[in-house]
Amino acid sequence: MRKTGTILIHSIWLSLATALLVVGCANQKEPAMKMVAEAESALAGIKDDAAKLLPSDLQSVEASVAALKDDVAKGDYKAVLAGAPAVMSAINSLKEAVAARKSEVEAAMAAATAEWGSLSADVPKMVEAIQSRLDILGKAKKLPKSLSQEAFDSAKSGLDSMKSMWAEASSAFTSGDAVNAVEKAKGVKAKGEEVLKLLGMSPG
Amino acid sequence: MATEPVKPAAENPYTQHYVVKKGDTLSKIAEEFYGDKMLYPKIFEANRDVLSDPNKIKPGQKLRIP
Repeated sequence: MRKTGTILIHSIWLSLATALLVVGCANQKEPAMKMVAEAESALAGIKDDAAKLLPSDLQSVEASVAALKDDVAKGDYKAVLAGAPAVMSAINSLKEAVAARKSEVEAAMAAATAEWGSLSADVPKMVEAIQSRLDILGKAKKLPKSLSQEAFDSAKSGLDSMKSMWAEASSAFTSGDAVNAVEKAKGVKAKGEEVLKLLGMSPG
Repeated sequence: MATEPVKPAAENPYTQHYVVKKGDTLSKIAEEFYGDKMLYPKIFEANRDVLSDPNKIKPGQKLRIP
């Protein structure tokens, strides 16, 4: 009779513990789900920019959010509640890093656009001056003493390169990539300096 | 009514220039820069704003060599 009573008490305690556990889980489920939803929402707000500007950082944060979702799927709300603050912190850090990187990129674009304005006025004049000289030299019965046939031929192929490089630079600028356009335009200008030297053309 | 000298389009900063010396002619300058004295009209045309006659150039004149 006493043994039966003990078993009964144990059963009651077990039921009570199970009930408390269920209630406890139920109490954790809602805040856990809410935290995951907040993390997903915060990540969605920066995802596009982050994918362009800081893809590897985004990948890492996405993996953390996915891990939280896995814990939700497993019903491990305690793990979700424990891990969510760090994930939210990582998302906020990523958000700040994306904003900083965006500002840097915008500043670089603005500087490149201004530089393009000067290069796009300058380089075509360089091409024009070289083209003019090569056209005239092409009509000459012989080349001047100071210019070898080899140098003349190199200058002609140099001008062809300049033209194709300039077309690429212009295309890059038209497609919105001012930074790349400026890099290419600087390449054209450097090539132009070489050609001017080959032709013995010292401006001024 | 006086005829105004022909003004070239905006000056190209990459155009080469030459300062005329005593005894120079456009033909001589053309031979030096182009290897062919017969190409002197190219220099004359590029300097129509300062030259009215290809046979009249003065020492000290700064000419464009296109």
